[in-house]
Amino acid sequence: MNDSCRLWSQWQLLDSILPTGGFAHSYGLEAAMQACLVFGPEDLRKYVVHVLENTGSLLLPFVHAATMSPDMQTWQKIDRMLDATLTNEVSRKASIAQGSALMRVAAAVFSEVPSIKMMRDASLGSSTVSLHHAPIFGLVCGLLGFDGETSQRAYMFITMRDVISAATRLNLVGPLGAAVLQHHVAPIAEDLSKKWMNRDIEEACQTCPLLDTVQGCHGYLFSRLFCS
Amino acid sequence: METGKVVVERVGGKSTVTRCFSKYPLKIIVPNKVGPSQTDAVWIYTITYGGGIVSGDSISCYISVGDSCTAVLTTQSSTKVYKSVGSKCSEQILEATVGQNALLVIIPDPVTCFSTAKYSQMQIFRVFPESSLLIVDWITSGRHERGEKWDFSLYKSINHIFLEGNEPLFLDTILLEQESQGSIAERLQDYQVIAMIVLWGPKLKFIQNQIQEDVKKMMSQQFRIPSINSGHFANTRSDHCSPKPNFIASCSVFGPKGIGLVVRIASMTTESVYSFLRHQLASMEPLVGVSPYC
Repeated sequence: MNDSCRLWSQWQLLDSILPTGGFAHSYGLEAAMQACLVFGPEDLRKYVVHVLENTGSLLLPFVHAATMSPDMQTWQKIDRMLDATLTNEVSRKASIAQGSALMRVAAAVFSEVPSIKMMRDASLGSSTVSLHHAPIFGLVCGLLGFDGETSQRAYMFITMRDVISAATRLNLVGPLGAAVLQHHVAPIAEDLSKKWMNRDIEEACQTCPLLDTVQGCHGYLFSRLFCS
Repeated sequence: METGKVVVERVGGKSTVTRCFSKYPLKIIVPNKVGPSQTDAVWIYTITYGGGIVSGDSISCYISVGDSCTAVLTTQSSTKVYKSVGSKCSEQILEATVGQNALLVIIPDPVTCFSTAKYSQMQIFRVFPESSLLIVDWITSGRHERGEKWDFSLYKSINHIFLEGNEPLFLDTILLEQESQGSIAERLQDYQVIAMIVLWGPKLKFIQNQIQEDVKKMMSQQFRIPSINSGHFANTRSDHCSPKPNFIASCSVFGPKGIGLVVRIASMTTESVYSFLRHQLASMEPLVGVSPYC
């Protein structure tokens, strides 16, 4: 694949039109809103930053590891470790749902990289892989030719995009306000990406335990729009 | 080099401490009159000189609970971590193995880090599918009556559970660090206590079920049902929003077939967490002799 063709594939991976099901998840925002922890625009901005911080500290190491060695053995190992690391059932299930969807879409769409489909087929018959999102995202990035740092930034970008998109559907912010918010948060997302970039998976940690506790309550909500 | 070691084995049909060693800055006390004598459980108190952990202290303890034994590890009061001197970090490491049909119960009082304190804690557990394990791990915001709320520099708590040797079962690390992007206080809002309860194994199954039910019942009332106009940023908090819940808890199962349970809690007061623990763990009395946290 030449460089300019590769660029089209890379953009497509990050495009919100790619049907990976990210928009079914609010990253705990719906529970936080119903618990009255998030109310006005300032609360929302802080919430988005906290989600990004927790994503950086907890998940970037897995994205990084998969991008650097996008092979079956590494993938299985870190998928298993992430399954034990995501102790919150709501976010664990969300990660599996998004990961399997991304794997299915990537295997069908990026046919110029046959190893994606091969790895998917090999994993479907076995129970050794849970199909978590962060490792699969890193894997696909690595196979599409992203460098390690870009794939980690891209993971922060799609997380920010999805949580802000959830905020508009929860009527916490209008579409224009959401775009302005995304632009304001971008420099913070960049700082956080730099801070947590290129870490070993042994260093993965939670930095916002309150967020995790609240997200775990998602199943207790009487009425809900999102899966997580 | 370990500063403490305890081995519990079955001797004459009873859980017995067969080895016990500790050296400064750790002291281990094994009183034999905690519960009624017919209950088969060993209570182990870990004590620090001066009631807390001084900057730079390094404590490392190993506990082995043999097959079919019961051991309880607890503290006499909250673990205070004093101010950091010369940016030195204090650390506490616990390694434990829990045998077949054995029960290990870790029920300390919370960790309280003073302002500027730096504290890192690592607890590694090796279990079998038939072992039972209860871990309570919790931290308060500090001496909050003195205005020290989440004012320490660093708190890191690692809890790893491995199944039958090396299979990762539960890998949890919490890191609270003052940052340029925002203080710890900002991330934890008005909550003064963060707690985690982990339950694993057949002996604790009935408590797992009861906690899951109780938490669900309790939390279902805490959430506001959104109305059509709610949530929009043009409204003020007082119009549409009741205050934040004083106590938030959520349960998640983990491990093969979901046989483990973790409960996470954020609370505005320490007392409400004590009362939750007392209430939820009261039914452990027949297993360990006395009700935890009473």
